[in-house]
Amino acid sequence: MRSFSEYNPIVVTVWFFSVTGIAMFSSYPLLMLISLLGGVLFFTVRNGISHGKEHIFFWVLFLILTLANPLVSHNGKTVLFVMNHNPVTLEATLYGLNSATMIVGVLYWFRSFTQIMTSEKLLYVTGALSPKLSLILSMALRFVPLFSRQSVKINNAQKAMGLYKDDNIIDDIKGKSRVFSILVTWALENGIITADSMEARGFGTHRRTHFCRFRFRGSDIALIVVSIALLVVTAFSVGIGSLDFSFYPSISVKTPGKLGIAGIISYIALIMIPIIIETEVSLRWKYLRSGI
Amino acid sequence: MEILAVRNLTFTYPKCSSPTVRNVSFSLKRGEFVVLCGATGSGKSTLLRMLKRELTPVGDISGNVLFCGVPIAEIDNVASISKIGFVMQNPEQQIVTDKVWHELSFGLENLGTPTDEISRRIAEMASYFGICEWYDKDVSELSGGQKQLLNLASILVMQPQLLILDEPTAQLDPIAATDFISTLKRLCQEFSITIIIAEHRLEDVVPICDRLLIMEKGALIASEPPEDVIRRFKDRGDILCGMPVAARLYAEIGDSGKCPLTVRDGRAFIENNYGNSTRELPLNEYRHSEEIALEYKNVFFRYERNGRDILSGLSMKVYRGELFCILGGNGSGKTTALSAAAGLLKAYSGSIKVFEKKISEYKNRSLYRECLAMLPQDVQTVFLKNTVRAELDECGADISELPYDITQLLDKHPYDLSGGEQQLVALAKVLAAKPKLLLLDEPTKGLDAAAKLNILNVLRILRKNGITVVTVTHDVEFAAAFSDRCAMFFNGMIVGIGTPNEFFSGNSFYTTAVSRMTRSYYNNAITIKDVVNLCRLNGRKEK
Repeated sequence: MRSFSEYNPIVVTVWFFSVTGIAMFSSYPLLMLISLLGGVLFFTVRNGISHGKEHIFFWVLFLILTLANPLVSHNGKTVLFVMNHNPVTLEATLYGLNSATMIVGVLYWFRSFTQIMTSEKLLYVTGALSPKLSLILSMALRFVPLFSRQSVKINNAQKAMGLYKDDNIIDDIKGKSRVFSILVTWALENGIITADSMEARGFGTHRRTHFCRFRFRGSDIALIVVSIALLVVTAFSVGIGSLDFSFYPSISVKTPGKLGIAGIISYIALIMIPIIIETEVSLRWKYLRSGI
Repeated sequence: MEILAVRNLTFTYPKCSSPTVRNVSFSLKRGEFVVLCGATGSGKSTLLRMLKRELTPVGDISGNVLFCGVPIAEIDNVASISKIGFVMQNPEQQIVTDKVWHELSFGLENLGTPTDEISRRIAEMASYFGICEWYDKDVSELSGGQKQLLNLASILVMQPQLLILDEPTAQLDPIAATDFISTLKRLCQEFSITIIIAEHRLEDVVPICDRLLIMEKGALIASEPPEDVIRRFKDRGDILCGMPVAARLYAEIGDSGKCPLTVRDGRAFIENNYGNSTRELPLNEYRHSEEIALEYKNVFFRYERNGRDILSGLSMKVYRGELFCILGGNGSGKTTALSAAAGLLKAYSGSIKVFEKKISEYKNRSLYRECLAMLPQDVQTVFLKNTVRAELDECGADISELPYDITQLLDKHPYDLSGGEQQLVALAKVLAAKPKLLLLDEPTKGLDAAAKLNILNVLRILRKNGITVVTVTHDVEFAAAFSDRCAMFFNGMIVGIGTPNEFFSGNSFYTTAVSRMTRSYYNNAITIKDVVNLCRLNGRKEK
């Protein structure tokens, strides 16, 4: 019994890129709307009603993106009104609305993605591609915070020793640049010891194996198969053009055929997978807990 | 069985006229615990690095090193990496990856061990070391002691037969250091892993080691059980100054019989040989000046709004011209208190006054001009330039005014200096601002006994010149020898304060080894000098 975020990171990654990939490569308004609604729903299911600031940021962005397009682009037949001798058209407004839906939807998805994919999972996924790349990433993840901590330390040490003589910006910048130059020396010095330690533990003598703490279970395989199948159906229906939509010069919609409808349904299903899993898990847990 | 044999080993670094290691021969039997000591620069690290092929420095080598009878250059790769483990001094910089579990698996991954095997060995190791609670953590969340334990564990997963450690406890606080040493003892006894360790803090390792190797100017001058070494080098103050106090006491006043190494044996040695009709030495009464150099009044501080108070109601006064020591465990807030006085952290309540003026009233950084200076724990953070000379020129330091001589260091890179030398250069830099109040954070961390003594003398001279010194330290022996007053820090405030004599004879656990050794037999004896004088006063017992 695992919640969606505890599935194998590769499965989660494949699923995320299926959802966002469709959203980014198609421009069919219904799919955009599904992606946005799904993204908001998934984010709120995971976080509850917190993260108010992020919601506000996303929706302000949504508004700006919607309004920006008709102000810049003047294509389209239906002129709503004229501003500064430039026509503002209905088609451009709707196009803006559609792209805003797409962008904000994808942003919501990626926000959830970064919450789920901790550094460890990210390393696992890159490790599956290349163990060396994964090691470099892991070292960088350790080194970057180390570097910034050391910089704070050096800065404090210098401050308490009177390096910054006066309270002005020029002196501050001079001081900071000196701190940065010694930081580079420090990093290289540090690197030598780390390199020694790696060598002493046999780095580069063999083909590295990649130890990981995630395994593929039955449910992982089931999930990845279902995700890919749904992706293929949607991608196929988008690819052969049965879900086509053009804004310019005037809005034209082809009624989607059977394949188009299948594509839409599979996309909905794809997006609903984690929400179904979360609900199922919480219901089952409630039931099991009643027996404790 | 002989596991390691070193025969006539001589090593010269390129462009050096004299060898760093000269004609060293010794051997280690399986399961032996051997301590290598010697002054800084005597060639210990170079010798140890030559025992591990991957770390052997570049230079002229003659003689050979045999591991299980095979020259180390000819052992196959996997054996050389896994059978000989090496732990270095700095806990932070040896760590390669960002997660504890990944660090543990790093060596095995390199050897191409199958994943199932890796997960079993790691689980074993984590259980044995009690790492389970922090197995999932980021390496950066660990304390220094935990990091060093992780370094040790990540070597041990490769199942070494010989463990080489180069000053592994130098950067640790005393409690973590003692834990680390007792882990080594356990490994040696339970798995008969052979251990060779270079150390400055000999108090803990000497009593448990089988043999003591002493290096001097590149040559090995002793390789015997510690008791014999101490008896042989009785008159060599420079070698003895790092030894356990019981051994030093024996070297001063003992003549025959077994040399005591632990506090327990030292106590027996005193009781058997010396009476206690005179129980205490006359105390010099301590008078401080009335002028206050640093005052905390009800200071509260926390790092995060919802965190806990690190300083909670701290109040204390340091008088002008004092050498003041703040002692206390890890995380008790000592360093935070010092940083708050240096204006690096801002207390949310209470006031801190430096020379009777609030630190917030020192405008435009005038606090750091001829008033207060702080030397941080990590002295490397003090240096900004490529040579000591540039370093001193930058802050306008005049080396002729210093109470010590650093002219021979001027053309070196500050990072290439030994810990003690770094400390002296950093101090020179700080003194250039002509501070009246000097704040020191662990000035003796990682130093050998001789370098400590040197710092101690420098601080005494500074006091004579009228500088007030406030030191945060873990080192009780240093505090006892050096301070005018000591204070115990606990949970963000001062819980005990007094002159070293009052302070350490009042404590029964957090006190010097001499005080523990003579408790209730003599009163107020806290340094080796005290107990030697008391023993001499009482005279030897007739047998």
